[in-house]
Amino acid sequence: MGEVIVITSGKGGVGKTTTTANIGTGLAAMGYKVVLVDTDIGLRNLDVVLGLENRIVYDLVDVTSGNCRLRQALIKDKKLDGLHLLPAAQTKDKTAINPEQMRQLCADLKKEFDYIIIDCPAGIEQGFRNAIAGAEKAVVVTTPEVSAVRDADRIIGLLEAADLREPKLIINRIRPKMVRQGDMMSIDDIIDILAVDLLGVIPEDEMIVIMTNRGESVVLDQNSRSGQAYRNIVRRLTGEEVPVMNFDENEGFFKKLKKMIGIK
Amino acid sequence: MAYQKGGIQKNTHSTGSGQGTLSDYEDMVDENTILVQRTLRSGQSIRYAGNIVILGDVNPGAEVTATGNVIVMGALRGVVHAGASGDEKAVVMAFRLQPTQLRIANHITRPPDNENVDPGLPELARIRDGVVTIEAFYPGGERQGKPV
Repeated sequence: MGEVIVITSGKGGVGKTTTTANIGTGLAAMGYKVVLVDTDIGLRNLDVVLGLENRIVYDLVDVTSGNCRLRQALIKDKKLDGLHLLPAAQTKDKTAINPEQMRQLCADLKKEFDYIIIDCPAGIEQGFRNAIAGAEKAVVVTTPEVSAVRDADRIIGLLEAADLREPKLIINRIRPKMVRQGDMMSIDDIIDILAVDLLGVIPEDEMIVIMTNRGESVVLDQNSRSGQAYRNIVRRLTGEEVPVMNFDENEGFFKKLKKMIGIK
Repeated sequence: MAYQKGGIQKNTHSTGSGQGTLSDYEDMVDENTILVQRTLRSGQSIRYAGNIVILGDVNPGAEVTATGNVIVMGALRGVVHAGASGDEKAVVMAFRLQPTQLRIANHITRPPDNENVDPGLPELARIRDGVVTIEAFYPGGERQGKPV
């Protein structure tokens, strides 16, 4: 029986879709059967980020309205056998599906997949209500900005009201240098306000832009810090205990070298 | 399921120069055609029982569906479906033919991965011997020389 996790944020542009793609790819790379569901009807992006746009024939609305069978709408990833996408429709809007249909869909997907990751649209209207309807767990993505944190707080309240208790938090696009200079909210500041469990922190990284534009996922890139951060998040989701990454870039070269060879 | 890129040279059974003869396009003459004078953006779609001529672009995320032919006087970058009710003779023609996905009747094709070819000339897609084939299209041609 699979687990349904919704990735949400309230505010737009904080990295829900990127996070969904990377968590899904990471889980599939570990050998799990994963399906990503794009619920952002009318503004779909997940297919583009995964580089699967040109394979879409049927979409989420076709499935819920009975135009096709669920199996026909699922798109297999180019690289990973265990990764599948259920794309959103682009020419419809959020009212094309309702929460009851999403609940049924998630129940059907749970029979076949280990993880069902739902990419939620921005906002708190029907799209949000559809996305969380079938979910059992929630991950809230925010960035270290007052506006994003404010919206995350609102979302956490709405999730709790919808009986999605204990959402996990991902803080995206943090710049350790700015935090040290006191120009950016720190991880502790954010946790202080939101009072939820931290699932992971992802540093600002150019590699994300590069990989996303190529239709690839940074989580498979062994060299980048953001890739490492996403891999840690994926391992934590599967129940492993992984310490939070050290973002201190200030330490000198020799200190780093010593750490590498293990003499502290 | 990638396209067959039938170049000019492949198009041997027409006039040899690669231009379709007049009889090749005769079937396309049909009264039932709408003219769309705008660019179709992401999320917009047009469905029509007949032919569609678009004066503008079709952007990624837009969809054009016709039971007949589709002609785009601009860049076709979205999803296009000609002969949607099963007409295998339907064609898709565009000033720049770079669709996300191209469908004719019940054939579905997409461009090969990691390849961004811009031929820089108008192209025509149609079914030849059961395969969707893309060939260069030279506008004008005989039509200017011979009376229709």
